Amino acid sequence: MIVTKVASQALRSASRYRLRTSLMMLGMVVGISSLAVLSSIGEASKRETMQRFKNMLGTFDTIIVRPGGGRSRGMPTLVNVPPTLRFEDARAVADLPEIKSVAEVQNAFDIDVQYRDRTTSPAIFGVSTNWLALRSEDVADGTFLTDEQNNSLARVAVLGTDVQTSLFPEEDPMGKTIRIANVPFQVIGILKPRGAGPAGATLDNIVLIPINTAARRLFNRDFLTMLIAQVRNPARGTETTEQVAALLRDRHHIPPRALDDFTITNPAATAAQVTRAGTTLGKILSGVSIMALGIGGIVIMALMSIAVSERRNEIGVRRSVGAGRTAILQQFLLEAVIVALAGGVAGVVIGIGGMQLVTRLQKLPQIILWRPIITAICLAVGTGLLFGMYPAWKAARVDPIQALRS
Amino acid sequence: MIRIEKLSKTYGRAGSTSVHALKEATFTVTPGQFVCVRGASGSGKSTLLNILGCLDQPSSGAYWLDGEDVSHYTDKMLSRVRNAKIGFIFQSFNLLPRTTALENVEIPMVYSDGRVDRHRAQAALERVGLGGRADHFPTELSGGEQQRVAVARALINDPALILADEPTGNLDAKAADEIMHLLQSLHQQGRTILLVTHAPAVAAYASREILLSDGAVASDRAVGIMSRGVV
Repeated sequence: MIVTKVASQALRSASRYRLRTSLMMLGMVVGISSLAVLSSIGEASKRETMQRFKNMLGTFDTIIVRPGGGRSRGMPTLVNVPPTLRFEDARAVADLPEIKSVAEVQNAFDIDVQYRDRTTSPAIFGVSTNWLALRSEDVADGTFLTDEQNNSLARVAVLGTDVQTSLFPEEDPMGKTIRIANVPFQVIGILKPRGAGPAGATLDNIVLIPINTAARRLFNRDFLTMLIAQVRNPARGTETTEQVAALLRDRHHIPPRALDDFTITNPAATAAQVTRAGTTLGKILSGVSIMALGIGGIVIMALMSIAVSERRNEIGVRRSVGAGRTAILQQFLLEAVIVALAGGVAGVVIGIGGMQLVTRLQKLPQIILWRPIITAICLAVGTGLLFGMYPAWKAARVDPIQALRS
Repeated sequence: MIRIEKLSKTYGRAGSTSVHALKEATFTVTPGQFVCVRGASGSGKSTLLNILGCLDQPSSGAYWLDGEDVSHYTDKMLSRVRNAKIGFIFQSFNLLPRTTALENVEIPMVYSDGRVDRHRAQAALERVGLGGRADHFPTELSGGEQQRVAVARALINDPALILADEPTGNLDAKAADEIMHLLQSLHQQGRTILLVTHAPAVAAYASREILLSDGAVASDRAVGIMSRGVV
């Protein structure tokens, strides 16, 4: 009961000594706003990274197998992989009990695609027809490739939005004939845009055609550049990866000590790793902010200590009219907390403003995250409590008799 | 109301360097008395006042205030006694700066049970003739007005005992007169007042005079009631 009245006294004191209060707030504002900005940016870029992985993979329950043992840089294409991963391998992997389905991929980059006098050089992906479902993607317009088209080696193509923009700036591409490396294909669908991948490059500069058409009519190759296997239980990704590896080693007759002639990646694990790296950076940034907060706390401690010396008479008066040591302690502690809280709230407001600015400049998604904000405010209150302790203790120990005499 | 028995206060360590500020002072003040304590500086007036005001504790002896022996109370209990039973009036007014008259009067209510009653504070200011000055800051008030605010603050919790320490020491003659009239009217309402002063003119308002000398009660006598003829 008394403490609420003491709190209102503390609030009044904080508003009476404006200069002191604003100086104390300033320290908190700097610490809290930087904390809010940095932790929110950390969180936002973490989410952005995950989103880009999701853009590339569609879902997180897939593992990717590519031919070649050494880790080659960048995307595999028909020109940079050995011809070791076969259609039969894909079927065998699909038969594993832990695997839900397998998409076969045969791709090449920088293939000239023409429509009338326009030319562009997208990636050409020959894909099996389960590609769309496996990646939980969809067409924006038209239809996707069908099994019938695949079996009959139909020359049909589904375009990514970048290709559509390049070749058909004004026309409706549906039903039009484009030439892929001089082979005519009919446009039957447009993919929904996928955005940027983890490296920041567009994922929409792409043409999808049936894999059999790709293998026999365009590339004339009978091996795969990639197979994407959807696992039944993503939590058992590592075990499933080992099963797939064992199967492929067996099929490729690789002796026990020899290296794999394929590479399996578990993108979910990679994404998690990248995100963790982001978290480490975030921790460092938070450390810097907490240091700033500590300095803010020291400012509070210094100014409150001076205030206690200057307000000895007030303390004496309050003691004479019935304030116990506890009430005096509470008042000065609450003053520190109120000021820190006000500084914290102001810091968060400024922090959100700064965050909006940074996210706009960095093209990160605009999000306001409540968890870091609440954490920041709790930290501000904690700082006020911690650094207000000493001055409040000093105030409680003021001898009222001497204080009243001065 | 007040009973002190062999009240002593010694500062410093026992031995040659210790100072005996009070030496076995004994007296009783009955409710409704207006007592004046006089004495040269260093005679122990302030020490006595601090102990009677529960700001300090005696080294030995007993102090009954309103039936309670408070000589061994803890800080918390003494604070409670100060809050409920004692109203202080100081020489230097001791109003909080940057705080309105009304808010100054409210402060004792902060430390007692119940809410801070603004109307009660306003009524107390009106009783000392400052109803219209509630929103003024101490710097905007004259010395006499500040002391009247202090009187209102001393009265707000309806204390049994008013302790005044040279209440007119910083005031001109006219303002001093006003304050003394105010104290006198409180006395007439039946309040117990203990006043510490040098000034004979101020002492003349009291009905009893205790003279301290060297920390001991040198004389204790009734003085002529309303010796200045003021009724």
